[in-house]
Amino acid sequence: MKKIIFKLVVFSAVTVSLAFLGGCKSKNPNGMDDWDDTEGLIVGDSIEGSMLNDSMGLPADGDRSLFPPVFFAYDSSQVNPEEAGKCEEVAKYLNKGKCEGVIVEGHGDERGSREYNLALGERRALAVRDYLISLGVDPAVIQTKSYGEEMPDNMGHDEAAWRQNRRVVFAIY
Amino acid sequence: MIRRIFVGSAMLAVSSSLAQRAVVERSGSGKISINLSGFRTGNDSSSRTFLSVLKADLNRSGYFTVKSSGAEYNVAGKAVAGRQLQTQVQVFKVSTRQRALGKNYNAPVKSTRSLAHKVADEITYALTGKRGMASGKIAVVYRKGKIKELVVCDMDGKNPKQVTRDRSIVVGPRWTPDGKNITYTSYKRGYPYVYMTGKSKPLASYGGLNASGAVSPNGKYLAVILSVSGNAELWVKDLRSGKMVRRLSNTRRGIEASPCWSPDGNHIAYVSDSSGRPHIYVISWRGGTPKRISTSGTENVAPNWGKNGYLTWCSRSGGKYRIMVGSPKNRSVRQLETDWADYEDPCWAPDGRHIVCSRTSNYRSAIYLLDTLKDSPVALLAGSGDWYSPACSP
Repeated sequence: MKKIIFKLVVFSAVTVSLAFLGGCKSKNPNGMDDWDDTEGLIVGDSIEGSMLNDSMGLPADGDRSLFPPVFFAYDSSQVNPEEAGKCEEVAKYLNKGKCEGVIVEGHGDERGSREYNLALGERRALAVRDYLISLGVDPAVIQTKSYGEEMPDNMGHDEAAWRQNRRVVFAIY
Repeated sequence: MIRRIFVGSAMLAVSSSLAQRAVVERSGSGKISINLSGFRTGNDSSSRTFLSVLKADLNRSGYFTVKSSGAEYNVAGKAVAGRQLQTQVQVFKVSTRQRALGKNYNAPVKSTRSLAHKVADEITYALTGKRGMASGKIAVVYRKGKIKELVVCDMDGKNPKQVTRDRSIVVGPRWTPDGKNITYTSYKRGYPYVYMTGKSKPLASYGGLNASGAVSPNGKYLAVILSVSGNAELWVKDLRSGKMVRRLSNTRRGIEASPCWSPDGNHIAYVSDSSGRPHIYVISWRGGTPKRISTSGTENVAPNWGKNGYLTWCSRSGGKYRIMVGSPKNRSVRQLETDWADYEDPCWAPDGRHIVCSRTSNYRSAIYLLDTLKDSPVALLAGSGDWYSPACSP
């Protein structure tokens, strides 16, 4: 945990100085919903509870057989109530210190753009990560990894296969 | 016969430079007929390959129709293969006997195909004043089983060379603006990192997602999708210092994907679903308010910005993926005519006229060449495994 705080401090220092270099930011009056003028805006709060500045050397694999995957609706990254129990089991396991950590792997179905699906898979993984954190899990022991549509569980091309492929898998290490 | 190929009438109002005209020009029967039957080859396979590749390139260019008599232009000369392939190429306008091109080209025999591509582009330029595409390269992902490797081939789909041998997964290749390297996302070190060919160290290896790395036209910056802030956002990284320059999106509820730079390096087009559905946006690389480009369709993804100034992207409408071409200036958009299959991941060919994309039918994916003017689609890469995510060299 100390290590993480140290990294956050270093990263904040770098980004705050970058924000200075970026100059003044001007608010655009007709800015769109959900958009900020992000000129030079890389401030400390943007990486609050976030991941490492460099993830090389982290465990990249784990045991996927311990917990069942969490499934998602089409184009959605919301953890459904009926799937939440699966996350809670994982949170319990992590909170008891039974392992070092978990890689939360996000997947999508084959429809749509591969690059967009990569981001969508990451959003699913991050939604599960946020849920685990809300259950008291230390953010430092949760890595996310998106496979997008690149690693389907079911090679079929129908709704049943797609439903199985829109998932988050827990790899425990 | 003149066919109107534009749906949007605003498109017709544009056009000043030659390159733009290539896109907005109305098509007709205006192909230049060219006759190569006077070109002599030896009995060796190399010189005959040269001639057949040259003919195929000229036909594929969209500007020519190769005829065996009564053509506007005649190609004379010869190709002789010894230790080297030696060629003499002369192009004459039949009506005036004026010489349009006269050059000698020599190359190692193993470079026969690329020599033919070069000659095709020189003939194209000499007779039309336009840049050809025959010498271009396509970077593409090839899947066999669970392995996805990066492959580079010629613009005609021939001469494939495997670039990565990581037995991992490659996603979203893009050429660097100098045409010498390719950036791509790979899982070879476990997590999705952005790599560049010729460099073992990743360009981006932050916690979470590192994807869709695109090098700016001046070679200094990398537009990249990172989730290090807790959400997939669009960032710009300084490649020399390794530091982040800025984050361009801040969409807590939305995700960003697929950045590409404008030819002048001032803007970035990308995908964002901050409105609820994925759409194409353009933003200044210095930040500011993004401008939405796509207006219709349930999904708009995978933008690519041509040197001709036009964007092409993939749009889902009526349950099918279609290729769109649009101007980021006046937001005029048209859809390319295609058949019932799904067409995705378009990118401009070096000639600014053709678009290379993937075509998926019955869950098999192949690489196709589309003409924004009139010609029928041509299959470039198909069969034995899947081919997708093509990227044309600049």
